[in-house]
Amino acid sequence: MSDLYLIFKNLTRKKLRLFLTMFATFIAFLIYGTITSFQAALDAGVELSADDRLVSVNKINFTQPLPISYVNKVRGVAGVEEVVHMNWFGGYYQDPRNQVQTFAVDKDTLLGVYTEIILTDEEEANWLQNRQAILVGESIARTNGWKVGDRLPLNSNIFSQADGKTVWQFDIVGVYTGADAQTDTNSVYIHYKYFNETQSFGGNYIGWMGVKTASPDLNEQVIKSIDDLFVNSPFETETVPEKAFQKAFIEQIGNIGLILTSVIGAAFFIILVIVGNSMVLAVRERTAEIGVMKTLGFKSVRIFRMVLGESMLLALMGGGLGLLASLGMIGLMNSVPAPLPTLIMDADVVLKAVGVMLALGLITGIIPAVSALRLNIITALSRG
Amino acid sequence: MTSIFSQIWAVVAMNIRSLPRRLWMSLAAVFAVTVVVAVLLSFLSMARGFSQTLEGAGSESTAIITRSGSRSELNSSMSNETVKILSTAPGIARDANDNPIYSAELYVIVDGIKRTSKTEANIPMRGISPVGFDLRENVEIIEGRLFTTGRNEIIVGAGVLREFEGFEIGKELRFGNTEWTVVGVFSTGGSAFESELWTDARTVQTQFRRGSSYQTMRVLLETPGDVSGMVELVENDPRLNLDVETEAAFFAEQGEALSYIVIVGWVISFLMALGALAGALNTMYTSVSSRAAEIATLRALGFSNTSAFVGTLVESVLLSLIGGAIGAFLSYIFMDGISTSTLGASFTQVVFTFSLTSDLFINGVWLALIIGVVGGFFPAWQAARLPVMVAFRQGN
Repeated sequence: MSDLYLIFKNLTRKKLRLFLTMFATFIAFLIYGTITSFQAALDAGVELSADDRLVSVNKINFTQPLPISYVNKVRGVAGVEEVVHMNWFGGYYQDPRNQVQTFAVDKDTLLGVYTEIILTDEEEANWLQNRQAILVGESIARTNGWKVGDRLPLNSNIFSQADGKTVWQFDIVGVYTGADAQTDTNSVYIHYKYFNETQSFGGNYIGWMGVKTASPDLNEQVIKSIDDLFVNSPFETETVPEKAFQKAFIEQIGNIGLILTSVIGAAFFIILVIVGNSMVLAVRERTAEIGVMKTLGFKSVRIFRMVLGESMLLALMGGGLGLLASLGMIGLMNSVPAPLPTLIMDADVVLKAVGVMLALGLITGIIPAVSALRLNIITALSRG
Repeated sequence: MTSIFSQIWAVVAMNIRSLPRRLWMSLAAVFAVTVVVAVLLSFLSMARGFSQTLEGAGSESTAIITRSGSRSELNSSMSNETVKILSTAPGIARDANDNPIYSAELYVIVDGIKRTSKTEANIPMRGISPVGFDLRENVEIIEGRLFTTGRNEIIVGAGVLREFEGFEIGKELRFGNTEWTVVGVFSTGGSAFESELWTDARTVQTQFRRGSSYQTMRVLLETPGDVSGMVELVENDPRLNLDVETEAAFFAEQGEALSYIVIVGWVISFLMALGALAGALNTMYTSVSSRAAEIATLRALGFSNTSAFVGTLVESVLLSLIGGAIGAFLSYIFMDGISTSTLGASFTQVVFTFSLTSDLFINGVWLALIIGVVGGFFPAWQAARLPVMVAFRQGN
């Protein structure tokens, strides 16, 4: 009889208990898989930031404007490869609650700076030619059922046109995909020129600039050169690496990481007490049997291994099923038409989950395994 | 009938007295429910705290006027001319000199450093008219003094002071090439206004090159809740593209921004409750099998199977309720009153505190009760139907 067979027999001895402990483990890993994928998607905004990209904003706050004349001045800074300026349009589609992240950009430099926006050659040509062009992300296009060739009316909750209308008409010339599966494709881009000439606030102001440097090594020098250019002016700039900007932005929402980690911790605490207890109980019930096995010549270490193997197997089976179910859950969440980040369970998440399963198996099995190891034959048989 | 009750009572008492024998299994069931209830109440108290903070800011006797469709004060804009037209609308309360009581306001976002993360966050700086101060309910200066009209002086909300660095009294702030001084701290009884910096509206217009434009307008209503006069004026004037509502309604809508947290909290707690349910079932089945001989003996003595059923169910419910009570207590100790901040509708930080109100506790109690009843029912069923002979054999 192989050990594995014995482990399996021990495990399936009480079917109901096996089912219940496995189910608890299943639930914990369903939560774990879903939440870590969500966290990974949130982190992706930071992780996927290009190292050679800076964001230059008004020093007072990034919602304050900058003069458009800054763009050419920044373009002249040594180490700067390309600059794209952007404005927040405050777009919404049909209902003010259905917000659309809309950026009015410099059409000529957008794709040079944000290289993760992938278009076909034809789409790119149309984007450059059509004044009323709009590029929409794959994800938001799916949510709203937009496709290339559609005429798209977008409202602004900030700006209005000279006649008081707040609706602008655009032509969808391209549905862009992301260079990475986790690249955000919930944004849409319009021409700054069209926006600026039709909005009634006047003024040649931009929101902020995306700056591509020749090399990440030059970032520090470029940051200093740009900010020094405008020091003591009414519009001082604050230039930071894109990664830092994204990070600060997520921090503004709150300490989401802490909330998610706490939830996972709570879920694991539950199965730790439930599964741990069951394992202790299961081994205690077998005291007499272990005594017999030891009498038959089973080495203590072998019995130790078998108990630990049982708890590991339990964790891997329940956890594996839970992870599989979270894959389904993620698919479900991705198919919901909501502006959520695309959730992906990558190898990293799976590997970590397997690591957690093994750790869980070890923690829940170690106490009964040690007591089985130490069990004295005489006490075992007399107790039984 | 009395015998049934006394039987049940005897069995329940016996089960409870024998709990220490099954201490660890019972504790496992208790802890599982503790965690589930604590998680649920934490999420609920977060959402409740946020909505209370915003709802607390809204008054029925004040109307707020924003650009149509802007949905937040930040996005709204209106000209001085619009403000003048609106100030003539019927339904606005008037002061002793028969002037309409209103405050035209504007909004600039500045940076503050969040204490917890040391990162920059959006703080709203609101320009108000002197009347604007009195238009807020429960407002008072708790330290220092009010800003002086026409000077670069700021008063800071108590919430901003609590969560962000650099706004202490006497601090000099630099926005662009303008210098500002913090001269006072104000409180509005914990409402959303405490997340703001206040200064004179005209000063903001000049220092931030806003010309004579404003963003929103607040008026004191003659009759609280009645905005019909203003709505009529706006509808009949094609130049005006505005939304008029009471401040209470306006903020109540913004308070719903975190309502998704309630859904997230329920989904997560429900999943965890399933895990805890597995734990409860496990515990109770073990309890029944360890008491098999006991149950058989009672049955042999003539106790009804109802008493075995109820005895087991009560044990399960009791364990769950203890767990739920501990969970509720822990979340009250650790969560209630926690101060934090998040991005609100105006794209600025809203400082709020977790609020575990008594009506939220009921949710926790229900959840614990359901886990206890379902987790006890099936094992209790088994206990009630256990054939006496089998039970004796199992027990030995």
